[in-house]
Amino acid sequence: MSKQMVISVMSKDRPGIVADITGAIYNLDGDLADLNQSVLCGYFTMILIASFDKKVTAEDVIAKFSHIESETKLEVVVKEIDEEIDTTSSGQSDMVYVLTAQGKNKSGLVAQMGEFCREHNINILDLDTTLNRGLYTMILVIDLAGTNSIDNVRADLETFQAKTELKVVMQHEDIFKITSDVNLH
Amino acid sequence: MIKSDQVLSTVEMIQKENLDVRTVTMGINLMDCRGGGVEETCRRVEERITTVAKNFVATCDDVSKKFGIPVVNKRISITPIAYVGAGFDRHGFVELAKALDRAATTVGVDILGGFSAHVEKGMTETDREYIASLPKALAVTEKICASINIATTKKGINMDALTLVGQTVKELAEQTAESGGFGAAKFVVFCNQPGDNPFMAGAIHGVEESDLVLNVGVSGPGVIARALERMIDNVGRENIKLDDLAEEIKQTTFRVTRCGELIGREVSKAMNIDFGVVDLSLAPTPTVGDSVGEIFQILGVDEVGAPGSTAILAMLNDAVKKGGIFASKAVGGLSGAFIPVMEDQVLADAVGSGALCLEKLESMTCVCSVGLDMVPIPGSVDAATISAIIADEMALGMINQKTTAARLIPVPGKGEGDYVSFGGLFGASPILPIRNIGKSQRFIDWGGRIPAPIHSFKN
Repeated sequence: MSKQMVISVMSKDRPGIVADITGAIYNLDGDLADLNQSVLCGYFTMILIASFDKKVTAEDVIAKFSHIESETKLEVVVKEIDEEIDTTSSGQSDMVYVLTAQGKNKSGLVAQMGEFCREHNINILDLDTTLNRGLYTMILVIDLAGTNSIDNVRADLETFQAKTELKVVMQHEDIFKITSDVNLH
Repeated sequence: MIKSDQVLSTVEMIQKENLDVRTVTMGINLMDCRGGGVEETCRRVEERITTVAKNFVATCDDVSKKFGIPVVNKRISITPIAYVGAGFDRHGFVELAKALDRAATTVGVDILGGFSAHVEKGMTETDREYIASLPKALAVTEKICASINIATTKKGINMDALTLVGQTVKELAEQTAESGGFGAAKFVVFCNQPGDNPFMAGAIHGVEESDLVLNVGVSGPGVIARALERMIDNVGRENIKLDDLAEEIKQTTFRVTRCGELIGREVSKAMNIDFGVVDLSLAPTPTVGDSVGEIFQILGVDEVGAPGSTAILAMLNDAVKKGGIFASKAVGGLSGAFIPVMEDQVLADAVGSGALCLEKLESMTCVCSVGLDMVPIPGSVDAATISAIIADEMALGMINQKTTAARLIPVPGKGEGDYVSFGGLFGASPILPIRNIGKSQRFIDWGGRIPAPIHSFKN
C-alpha cells in the first residue's frame, strides 16, 4: 500500500536545488507523479505530488528536507492526501480561456483582476505577468466552467476594461494551441 | 505550455488586424430533390434546404462566440441547378431561383450559390434555357448567386456559350440598371471551376461531393499587411530581403488558416456534417485595413499596376498557398490572393488614378486566383467585346491549368471617369476604361469551340 503527498517547497534559487529535493524523495523510496517548478526574481518554488510507502510520514519528509542547504530557510509544506489523485487528468474543462490584460502599470491591477474572476466564479489556472517600459501585461489561463454565461463575462469585461484602463482580451485556449503548434490536435 | 509572446501575437492578430472567418459555406446536394414538375421540384428543394440547414446559422454564431472569432458570412452552396432542373424551360428556372431565395431567407444565410451550369464542352437545351433565365432569375431574387463553367484545361472553351454569356452579362446589368447593374455582380464565368469553393459568387456543391459538406473560407489580408509592417518596423527595412517577407507571409498564413480549421471542425462536429476544406484566400473587403492592394504597397510598389505588381502577386499567392496547405488537413477551393477591384479600396484607387488598366489586371490574374473580379466597365461596351474579354481570361486558365474567372459589370449609363457603388461588401470603384471596344466581333461570331490544349510539349 502506498499513500500520496503534496509537497510545496520555497527557497532562494541555486544550482542543484532540484537534484537535492528530488534526491530526498528518492531516498525515501518515493515515486514522483507530477511536479511544477518556477523561478521568480531569484526565488525558487516547487509543488509536487509523490507517492510513498504507507509507513512514511509527513514528518519523515520534512526531516529529510531539513538537510538541504539553502541561503534562506527552505520553506516546506507537506500534505498527506487520503483520496487517490488522478495525475493523468488536468482537471480542466473544455471552457479554458486565455485572458490577456495590458495597460499602464499601477498598483492593484492583479488584485482587481483576481477580484473580477472571483465575482464570476472563474478559476485561475495560470497567471503570468510582465512589466516592460511601464507597460504591464497579465496573461491568465482561466476556466470558465463555473460561470453562468460567457456572454455575461464578456459584457462585464467591457465594464472592467473601462474602469481599470486595461485592454482586456479573452480568447479560447484552443485558438492559441492551434496557431502555435505544428500538430493539429 | 503556451509562450507569452505567442499569446500576445495571436491576440494582436484577432483583435487588431481584422482576422475573421470570412465564410462558412454549407454544401447541399439537391440531385435527389427532382420532382415530376417545376412545382414539386421547387417544393422539395425548399424543404431539403430548410431541413438540413435549419440550425446552421445559429451553430455558426455559437461557435463564433465560443472562440471569439467573427464568422462574417454564413452561406449555402448547392448542386449546379441545371442538373436539378434538367428539362425545365427558362420560366421553370426562374421559379427554382425564387424557391432557393425563399429557402435561403428562411434559414437566414447571407447568400446561396450554385444557380449554375457546366457547359465547357457543349450545351444541352436545358443549359440554353438556364442561361436565358439568368437576367430575370437574378433580378427577382436577393440572395442567389449564379456561375457558369464554360472552359476547362481538359475540354477547351465553349465559344457558343461564351457568346451567350457576353449577352447575358449585358442583360443582367440592364435589368438591374437602377442599382448600377448589380445583377452582373452576382454572376461569374469560370474556367476550371472548383466544386468546393466556399467564396461567392462562384460557390457550388460539385457533383463529385457527398450529400452535405462544410467548407470554410478564411481571409485576412489585413493580418498579412500588419504582420509585414511589424516585421519591417522591428527588423529594419535594410535588413530584410524579399524571401524574408515571403517567409513572414507564409507563417502568418499558417496561423490564419489554423483559426479557420478550428472553426470549421467545431461547426461540422456540432452539426454532424463532414468537414470539407479550408480555402485560405486573401479576399479583401472595402473596409480600410482589409485590402490586398495595401500588401502590394508594403511590398514595394507605390500603386497597384506599376511594374513589379505581377511579380509581387506571384510571390504573395505562392506564399499564401504554402502556409495554408501545411496548416490544414484539406485545403481546397481557390486558396490564393483575390484582386476584386470594387471590393478593394486600394485597387479601386489605382483604377481611378489610371495606374491599373485592364491589360495589367489580366496579366496579374495569370499568377493569382481568381481572375477579372468585380470589374466595373462602361455600360456602352458591346456584348461581343465582353465575350472576348472573358475569352482571354478563360484562355489564361485553360493553358495554365488553373482556375480563372470573370465578373464584369457593364454599368448602365456610366462611362470612363464615372464612379459606381454597390455598398457593403460589394464595394465601389471608378469605372475601368476599356480600350479597343468593338474590334472583336468577327472572332466571337465564329462560335464553336476552342479545342482543349495539348498536355505535353510545354515550353
